[in-house]
Amino acid sequence: MKKAEKCITCGKGLLERGATTFQCPTCDEIIGRCGGCREQSVDYICPKCGFKGP
Amino acid sequence: MAEEKGKKERETDMLVPEETYMTSGVHIGTRQKTSDIKDFIYKVRNDGLYIIDVKKTDEGIRNAAKFLAKYDPPKVLAVSVRQYGQKPIKKLGEYTGMQILEGRFRPGILTNPNSKDFFEPEIILLTDPLADIQALHEAENIGIPVIALCDTNNETRYIDLVIPTNNKGRRALALIYWLLTKEILREQGKIKSDEEFTAKVEDFEAEI
Repeated sequence: MKKAEKCITCGKGLLERGATTFQCPTCDEIIGRCGGCREQSVDYICPKCGFKGP
Repeated sequence: MAEEKGKKERETDMLVPEETYMTSGVHIGTRQKTSDIKDFIYKVRNDGLYIIDVKKTDEGIRNAAKFLAKYDPPKVLAVSVRQYGQKPIKKLGEYTGMQILEGRFRPGILTNPNSKDFFEPEIILLTDPLADIQALHEAENIGIPVIALCDTNNETRYIDLVIPTNNKGRRALALIYWLLTKEILREQGKIKSDEEFTAKVEDFEAEI
């Protein structure tokens, strides 16, 4: 699977600890989330299908 | 009449009838509420108990099944420290071929390559983020996505997909894992209809 380069919510690079990349649960869009956004449970929205997580 | 029609339509949309969720106690939350889970709460009962919206639970199961089906089953790890979640995840592993880890989560399983049972999953499924905190920390360290069953008292820190449900009840956990197993098999194309999945919810229930 291709790795995302930036966080989908804040645009930060995904090099720090806690960052992850995954495919959108409903479509095949690659979603990246940085450690900060994951720690604060910031919502993410898939740009392709509009899926809102977590 | 219109109300009845609406109810029927809602039921057909769901994986199982709403009553099945109710009788299993999937909607029963706790007396605590976190801000992360407030979107999944339907109402507060007079006795202070928060009630989970089962429609969102249903949606969560579908999304989680689609999500998990994208990964190779031996690369998926299901964890349950909770006793009532151990039999359901065993059954999940049996039917889908996923890796399971029941009981105590020994530190280093995901992070220490020298550990005897070192394992590198691509995604992790937690039964309770509070009880499975060690697994959550290690998943955070190695940067893999996390799916978790969350009750009203759980935070969604480092969780990428939430299944809002009662994660303490014996029957609730059995129903959730039974539905998840069925949906994963359907997404993987191993079963085409409900009839092909012969396991019963009772098979997933832990003994008292």
